[in-house]
Amino acid sequence: MHDGSGRIAVQNLTKQFGAVTAVQNLSFTVEPGSVTGFLGPNGAGKTTTLRMLLGLVTPTSGAATINGRPYTQLGNPARVVGSVLENEGFHPRRTARNHLRVYAAAIGVPDQRVDEMLGLVGLTPAADRPAGGYSLGMRQRLSLATALLGDPQVLVLDEPSNGLDPEGIAWLRGFLQSFAKQGRTVLVSSHLLSEVEQMIDQVVIVSAGMTRYYGPLEQLRASQRSRVLVQPADANALVSALREAGITEVQPAQDGRVAVMGATVQQIGDVAAKAGVAVYGMEEEKADLEQLFFQMTSPQYSGQPMPQQPQNPYQPPPGPPPGGFPPGPPPGAPPQSPPQNPYGPGQPGQQGWGGGH
Amino acid sequence: MMGNLIKAEFRKILTTKSWWALLIPAAVLAFAFAAGLGYIANEFGNILTSSEAERIASALGIETGSLPMGLLAVGRAINMALMFAVIIGVFAVAGEYSKKTITTTFLTAPNRAMALTSKMITYISWGALYGLAAVAAASLGILLGVDSERLPTASQWLGVAGASVLAGALATLFGVGVGALWKSVAGSVVTLLLYMLLAENLWISVSYGIWGNDVAWMGAVLPNGALNGVVGAIPAEVFGASGVRVPGMEDDFAWFLQNVAGAPGAFSWWGSALIFGGWVLLFFGGGWLVNQKRDIT
Repeated sequence: MHDGSGRIAVQNLTKQFGAVTAVQNLSFTVEPGSVTGFLGPNGAGKTTTLRMLLGLVTPTSGAATINGRPYTQLGNPARVVGSVLENEGFHPRRTARNHLRVYAAAIGVPDQRVDEMLGLVGLTPAADRPAGGYSLGMRQRLSLATALLGDPQVLVLDEPSNGLDPEGIAWLRGFLQSFAKQGRTVLVSSHLLSEVEQMIDQVVIVSAGMTRYYGPLEQLRASQRSRVLVQPADANALVSALREAGITEVQPAQDGRVAVMGATVQQIGDVAAKAGVAVYGMEEEKADLEQLFFQMTSPQYSGQPMPQQPQNPYQPPPGPPPGGFPPGPPPGAPPQSPPQNPYGPGQPGQQGWGGGH
Repeated sequence: MMGNLIKAEFRKILTTKSWWALLIPAAVLAFAFAAGLGYIANEFGNILTSSEAERIASALGIETGSLPMGLLAVGRAINMALMFAVIIGVFAVAGEYSKKTITTTFLTAPNRAMALTSKMITYISWGALYGLAAVAAASLGILLGVDSERLPTASQWLGVAGASVLAGALATLFGVGVGALWKSVAGSVVTLLLYMLLAENLWISVSYGIWGNDVAWMGAVLPNGALNGVVGAIPAEVFGASGVRVPGMEDDFAWFLQNVAGAPGAFSWWGSALIFGGWVLLFFGGGWLVNQKRDIT
């Protein structure tokens, strides 16, 4: 039978629904003892992948195994794998307790387990109400209770925080982490990194049916370094001064500022002062996982680019005619600059000069 | 393993209202039809002095006055009630698709074959129960509507009761198969009702009107006729209208009697059971195969 390893293995998994390729050659493994996030935008193939893993959808090619076996060869599968799926139903007129009793019978666990699970997910007071009257959050709890009936070694959850209130999410986070600490396996999907960021150790990022990243979240975090956006009077002078100082990772930013990596605000300020280049503003950009996640997954819907940050009042309209006003407006006012003066005098640090009418 | 799954299926049925919400009207319908038809048949028997009746009666070796009219009514009433057995069968798989509980059902079974087998066994039992309820209610009905000398004999009654239980089980499995194929409760129920209560009967009558006795076999072979034949052939047979034909009975009158019994063109009860079993095999087998591979999304 299965090897009891608690390992989930997805190998070259592909699924086509007619002409649509939902999942394309997806591979990753999930190890026990950790919570693994399965991330990707909506429509990336997450749900299809999880359903293939659970034997609900037949792969076009490739294989998905748990404990070295396809789901349908696990024997009594609910004793090995528990799953909380989106789109999972309850008979609207069957009570939560009866729902659990049905599946407790199917799995072959004593009915007493039903009461335990109701208590665990906090549904005991509502246990004898029909599930049709449940809120989304209560349904998620009932799903989780169903998944845990068989005391499984592996837990698979598809967008479990949908419909949960912040308290519920915090509870779920704690629960999944302690579940994983017992040496069990947790795979949890989400389309929002921020939603699961605090509960996952490992991450699989998919987009357009393909794996974009798979490994520890820490490593992903480390790969994204912070940068400093500098607004100099003379960009060329600053860049050459930085190069002389050994700071070579310099790029022009989209808004005309200079993006400097591998240096602190203090270092850049010192270099600029030494070189006699005026600096009007500096902004440190922290490593933002969400942004990285977005970059990794955005090619899927790379349609119309957004109009240049219309929400940001601090941003000048793109491509202003050069040299409109003396001494020539800077290519982009730094964020610190207040927006009152559209004819920025070029010295945003010194309001009132030339403006203020 | 299978025991667990069957237990789960029984709990599924018993924790919702469908089973009795369908069983009660089935019983009421069986009772009402048996009482009503029994009354009419009784009256019909009273005025039946035609040569046909004489011939039947003499062929059967009984007096015209004690023709078992109640048997005709019972057969018809049971056949009506068994529509509800078909409907509860539809809920077995299609109901799970519409409520989306099929996901959990498949996830908690070792494989789909076992999940469907457990449903098959469970619903055979429920179908048999419906058959039993139908014959019980119909029997009460004829007690009310038929003179006591025209009630079926004990052996006739036992035959009908057994056939009713068998037909109930088969009817339910038929519904399970249709629902498993189609996934839609509403679609399956409406189509089955329209077909079994209306379309097929209409077609049988129209085709009999056009082509006469040459196509009488259709009534016994199409699903509704075959199902009705399982129970209906027993009274029809008693009247010499199916199975062993009473010598000299005209085709048209035999066909009429079969229709009264709800079994036009009927073969013997076991012949009908075999034919309907074929339909069940076709639909249940088809539903089974489709569900082995169907993607649950």
